[in-house]
Amino acid sequence: MALMHVDDLTMRFSGITAIERLTLDVQEGSITSLIGPNGAGKTSVFNCITGFYKATSGDIVFDGQSLINLKPYQITYRGIIRTFQNVRLFKNMTVLENVLSGTHSVSKQSIFGALARHSAARLEEKAVLESAEYFLEYTGIYNKRHELARNLSYGDQRRTEWARALASQPKLLLLDEPAAGLNRGEKDSLIELIRKLRSDFSITVFLIEHDMDLVMKVSEKVIVVNFGVKIAEGTPNQVQTNPQVIEAYLGSEEEEDEDGFIS
Amino acid sequence: MQYFTKIRQLLDNKFATRAILAALCVIMALLPLFLNNYVLNVLWNAFFYMLLAMGLNIIVGYCGLCDLGYAAKFAIGAYTTGILIKTYHWNFWLTLPASLAVSIIAALLIGGPTLKLRSDYLAIVTLGFAEIVRITARNSNITGSATGISAIPRPSFFGIRLVKPNHWYYVFLVLVIIFIIISGRIRNSRVGRALAFIREDEDAAQAMGVNTTSYKLLAYTIGAAMGGITGSFYAVKMTSISPSSFDFTQSVNILLAVILGGMGKIPGVIVGAAFFAIFPELFRDIPVIGDMRMLFFGILLIAVMLNRPQGLWPDKLGSEPGGLPGDINTVGRR
Amino acid sequence: MLALGGVCVFSFSEVVLQQLINGLILGSFYALVALGYSMVYGIIKLLNFAHGDIYMIGAFACLSVFGVISKEIPGLAGIGLSIAAAMVLAGIIGYLVQRVAYRPMLEAPRLSLLITAIGVSLVIYNTVMLMTNGQPLFFFSGIDNSAGFSFGNIRITYVQIFMLALSATTMLALSFFISRTMMGKAMRAIALDQDACRLMGINVNKIIGSTFIIGSMLAAIAGGMACVYYGNVQYNMGYTIGIKAFTSAVIGGIGSMPGAMLGGLLLGLLEAIGTQVMTSMGMSGSAWKDVFAFGILIVMLILRPNGLMGKTDVERM
Repeated sequence: MALMHVDDLTMRFSGITAIERLTLDVQEGSITSLIGPNGAGKTSVFNCITGFYKATSGDIVFDGQSLINLKPYQITYRGIIRTFQNVRLFKNMTVLENVLSGTHSVSKQSIFGALARHSAARLEEKAVLESAEYFLEYTGIYNKRHELARNLSYGDQRRTEWARALASQPKLLLLDEPAAGLNRGEKDSLIELIRKLRSDFSITVFLIEHDMDLVMKVSEKVIVVNFGVKIAEGTPNQVQTNPQVIEAYLGSEEEEDEDGFIS
Repeated sequence: MQYFTKIRQLLDNKFATRAILAALCVIMALLPLFLNNYVLNVLWNAFFYMLLAMGLNIIVGYCGLCDLGYAAKFAIGAYTTGILIKTYHWNFWLTLPASLAVSIIAALLIGGPTLKLRSDYLAIVTLGFAEIVRITARNSNITGSATGISAIPRPSFFGIRLVKPNHWYYVFLVLVIIFIIISGRIRNSRVGRALAFIREDEDAAQAMGVNTTSYKLLAYTIGAAMGGITGSFYAVKMTSISPSSFDFTQSVNILLAVILGGMGKIPGVIVGAAFFAIFPELFRDIPVIGDMRMLFFGILLIAVMLNRPQGLWPDKLGSEPGGLPGDINTVGRR
Repeated sequence: MLALGGVCVFSFSEVVLQQLINGLILGSFYALVALGYSMVYGIIKLLNFAHGDIYMIGAFACLSVFGVISKEIPGLAGIGLSIAAAMVLAGIIGYLVQRVAYRPMLEAPRLSLLITAIGVSLVIYNTVMLMTNGQPLFFFSGIDNSAGFSFGNIRITYVQIFMLALSATTMLALSFFISRTMMGKAMRAIALDQDACRLMGINVNKIIGSTFIIGSMLAAIAGGMACVYYGNVQYNMGYTIGIKAFTSAVIGGIGSMPGAMLGGLLLGLLEAIGTQVMTSMGMSGSAWKDVFAFGILIVMLILRPNGLMGKTDVERM
């Protein structure tokens, strides 16, 4: 069953067509990748799904309901969470506070609860703290929970972002270039992590990635876009052998990756 | 800075903090026994600024919104109470809910449409709104035009008419404590964290499920309500109010207290407010320095922004949300 | 503020026409100051709070220079020269403010930058207040402010014509500069994407500095015009016009140059007409005219936050 169905999505801004009539499915419980050369419109797709861009036309249906015209925070409440291409943490706050931001959409305490501190509010506060600590341990960053996010190494910032995303207990996790800036060993453990959290929390994963190796290893389905148009779709093997894909993408991109230049 | 570190370490220890706070409360409660009326009045003035600064701190410090017309918020409270007492002969204590309601409605009217926009528009809208409030007060009959409202009767509290300086000292001391509790509880809650996320990165906050528009409006409204209540008490303490008490300089003073003290940090804001209330008194008899005050503040403001944007109050060593004790050993200083 | 004194019995259309002329003058002040706001906002997204104070400095500089040279070079030539000198001084101060206070803050949060701007405004405002003891200084141009043409009861003075011509020329020159020269193009490019400009080898800091210089010079022209028109200058003259110029910029669409000009003229006209309407309703028009202007600002932000000529921005991360 498709957890998310993107139907005939078009997105234009100031004369540029970022996405053109894109249709795709993300199956429940799958790991699906969206690939394409730089500027192919991948991040625009994410921005449309998460409500940061307004689609010009078309529909995005998630869990049976349309996401069109919803605000980003409402989409988060529906169970979609994203990570950012260049890690976007709350830099002047601690790791723990960052992860607590993930619990915002799964907790309820209002201003009255905050002021009255009645037992329900205190219980919830305790619960979100425990949940945050659980995910801090899960991603292996628990020891650094009191450090300011901006003082962390890049790897630890990534981990914090993961913990933050998981703390919102999402149904669908959108990963925007999760392997950017990681070395070979870290990439392998990333693949492990993606698989592990799918089985641990039954999360569906939809990711954008430049690193072909990672995409081919981890995904069950690969969707290829170029200039906002879908040019191929299928299993990693099917996509790798598709002549159109090779022409549009693999030929030019592989060299770049080997040089280690990752945008 | 080592000195700062030591103070900070002391403050991070929960037991020490409580002991210091308890001692402070006792000292503050006993002070009126030893001080003359002049000093009591200066302290009252400091409390008054603390209340305003704490209210504005919710808007500026917690949520990162720039409000340049905070004086209008307490003008609204002061005038609501003043008019209800003088024209409609209400009891002071009954005017408080009315003042709260008017403040909240005004905040929703101004904040509602503007907070959807870029945050920095709020700065100019609040400034414009403050001018509208001031000019309206100066030109309307019900607000007593330029002379304002005078001879507002003092209220009673359980049969005691609040007339002496030490009465007002205690009233405002209690208000300060209430505001500290409110500020602290908001800060260490889901709401307070949501405001901090907005301040740090609005887009990321939104991506984490924070309804940024309504939380900004919430912060703005709470700040305005706190200002309104302060204004109501100000009106009966002073017994007279006039448009000149609510001008732009007043708004800037409160903003400076919040920023210089340390945005979002309650002790910093309190010390900042006390500084702004007491500083003019120290140089009262030296006219040149008195006049140069705002120039000096301007320079200080730029210097602080360039070198220490987080304000002059020292940072936490290992900060922890939820009001839990910080760990002295985790030295995570910037 | 406006030459409303000695109003006798006017026919309605004449009143409207006279107010249109007054509004146009007022509007050209707003437009000149609004341009500086809009340029700076467009390029570094800063609400430059000190801009109104730069206008005030321009006025003081013009007054001081004219005081020295008026014996040798009287009349319009002297005024023109004084305004030119004021432009130079304002340009230097605008640049220094940018260099000292804003440039180190460009990477800081927007709130910090805004607060720095308030600090700069406080410093300039209070320095001038201390230097002048808070008293207004008077400007004797030696030109008869009331000399001019009359059409029935409508009056246009030579000074008004001079000012309209000066502001129109300035705005035309600016439009040419922004649309045709390399630097103008660089400014527009930086407003779109600063990082991309850096990669393309544009000296971003230099362009930002130039933007401040040009914006300050425009404010100084308005300041000089205020000297002549009002005949006195005071340390607090920049505060209200600062807000109103910002309102103009918002009305036109902040960041848009033609928008700032249009917004300024519109606000001037609306204010002049609004004052007239309120006076005819028996309220004190001059007391309420600021309420009117700020009311327009708030209504405008609610109804059309991107202004009349501003582009709707794509929400992006």
